[in-house]
Amino acid sequence: MPNTPVIDVERLNVRYGDFHAVRDLSFQVREGELYALLGTNGAGKTSALETVEGHRAASSGTVRVFGRSPRERRTVRPRTGVMLQESGFSPDLTVQESVRLIGALTRRTDDVGRVLDLVGLTRKARTRVAQLSGGEKRRLDFATAVYGTPELVFLDEPTTGLDINSRDELWTAVDRMREEGTTVVLTTHYLEEAQQRADRIGLMHRGSLRREGTVAELTRTLPAVIRFSLPDTAPELPLPVVREGDGSFLVETPGLQRDLHILLGWAQDNAVELRGLEAGPTRLDDVFRALDTADA
Amino acid sequence: MLPIAQSELIQIFRNRLVLVTMLVLPAAFSAFYIYLYDLVPALDLGATAAILVFLVVVLGLYSTTVTTLASRRQNLFLKRLRSTAAGDGEIISGLLLPVTVITLVQTAVVLGALTVFAEAPAHPLLLAAAVLSVVAMMVGLGLATAGVTNSPDHAQVTTLPVLVGVLAVSGWVGFTGTGELTLLKRLLPGGSASELVVNAWNGGTAVADSLWLLAPTLAWVVVALVLAARLFRWEPRV
Repeated sequence: MPNTPVIDVERLNVRYGDFHAVRDLSFQVREGELYALLGTNGAGKTSALETVEGHRAASSGTVRVFGRSPRERRTVRPRTGVMLQESGFSPDLTVQESVRLIGALTRRTDDVGRVLDLVGLTRKARTRVAQLSGGEKRRLDFATAVYGTPELVFLDEPTTGLDINSRDELWTAVDRMREEGTTVVLTTHYLEEAQQRADRIGLMHRGSLRREGTVAELTRTLPAVIRFSLPDTAPELPLPVVREGDGSFLVETPGLQRDLHILLGWAQDNAVELRGLEAGPTRLDDVFRALDTADA
Repeated sequence: MLPIAQSELIQIFRNRLVLVTMLVLPAAFSAFYIYLYDLVPALDLGATAAILVFLVVVLGLYSTTVTTLASRRQNLFLKRLRSTAAGDGEIISGLLLPVTVITLVQTAVVLGALTVFAEAPAHPLLLAAAVLSVVAMMVGLGLATAGVTNSPDHAQVTTLPVLVGVLAVSGWVGFTGTGELTLLKRLLPGGSASELVVNAWNGGTAVADSLWLLAPTLAWVVVALVLAARLFRWEPRV
């Protein structure tokens, strides 16, 4: 993967009056990469993303997209597709008219029929936006973002409100674009999507970037976990455990294979059933929880 | 700009409320005034023309400008347009071009009807200049008012001061002239433009002597645009 930064953010700060939404945020997104910018609620990722998209001015710091300020719309936007978090389409226009309008304004060329087919809205082409379901509006939003296959696509909560088939279709379309070299910046609340698809992830918390790296790099910072439940009559466990709120047990371990072997041997010897046994490396949501806990 | 204008035109003709505000109301008021002129032959034709111009432009253009921009902002359509390569000027021009052109056509039709049913204007070019200056002023005031208007419903309140004020000034100046309180009447928004329409229609005043009456209206255009630049918002207030 080439190392050319498509996006270069350096010490970005965004303030609203006294409220400091983004603090000294720095990150780069390289060509062809899928970079997921994730964060807890109110972490500042929307403010950061909107500044990188060019919708908002930075209070301080620099943002470069393709080496230019993202507020230079005439030069940057023809190379950029934006899927906003909220639709923003006129309810009185049809699906076809909406795609044609936004497509024309991107200065890219494409076939409206092809794009509607890509997002599964061909049968809704003549339907007014007001009559679309929430999921269909998200697909329309995606259609305008990928019109003309831009070099860079921002996907802000792309699968919110989509059913499972529509999600799969959307990700298939994104995968196809990535094969053609499109760079993707993603924000989502579905952590498993980021975990499965992102080349790198930036985790924001309370306005700043707290962790950044591949999924493996992020989860490596925390111990692996073993989770299970036990009957009340079970004898004493052979490992130090934490009792969780739902009554289950949690073992945090730097040596997953060794401790799992000990636990299974103990269960076998005592004829105890380990109900709902789960074992594996830390998940992304555990990294998230650790961020919150660290600040508590 | 043209794709935005085209989509805006489609939306105008699909939205009954906008269509009624923009086309039917001014047309109905205009028909009433022409009917009134027929009933009362002593009615000043220039003043009638001034009232008609302001009715069409204020009710058709100004109200629609404010409502449209507030609506497009509220449903994030403005933000959507700004996520493309279109510049701000291009977006505003595209949004307002159809309603402006429709208003100019309406004004031409209404004044044409007055010409047919009564008399032709003495100075048509001066009349055209007056109409264009009123259009520019009301677009500017519309942009400024849209800045303080959160939604189309809110527009029913926020447009009232300008709507009532400009219509009242144009009627006051049109029917009473500027013999008294001259400076005040000419400086109020719509006052000098109304006097210009009267002069252009009735004649009796040299064109060169009337031309400077454009200055106060153009000053209002500048004031309105400065206000618009300060007040206009592209996204709903959070």
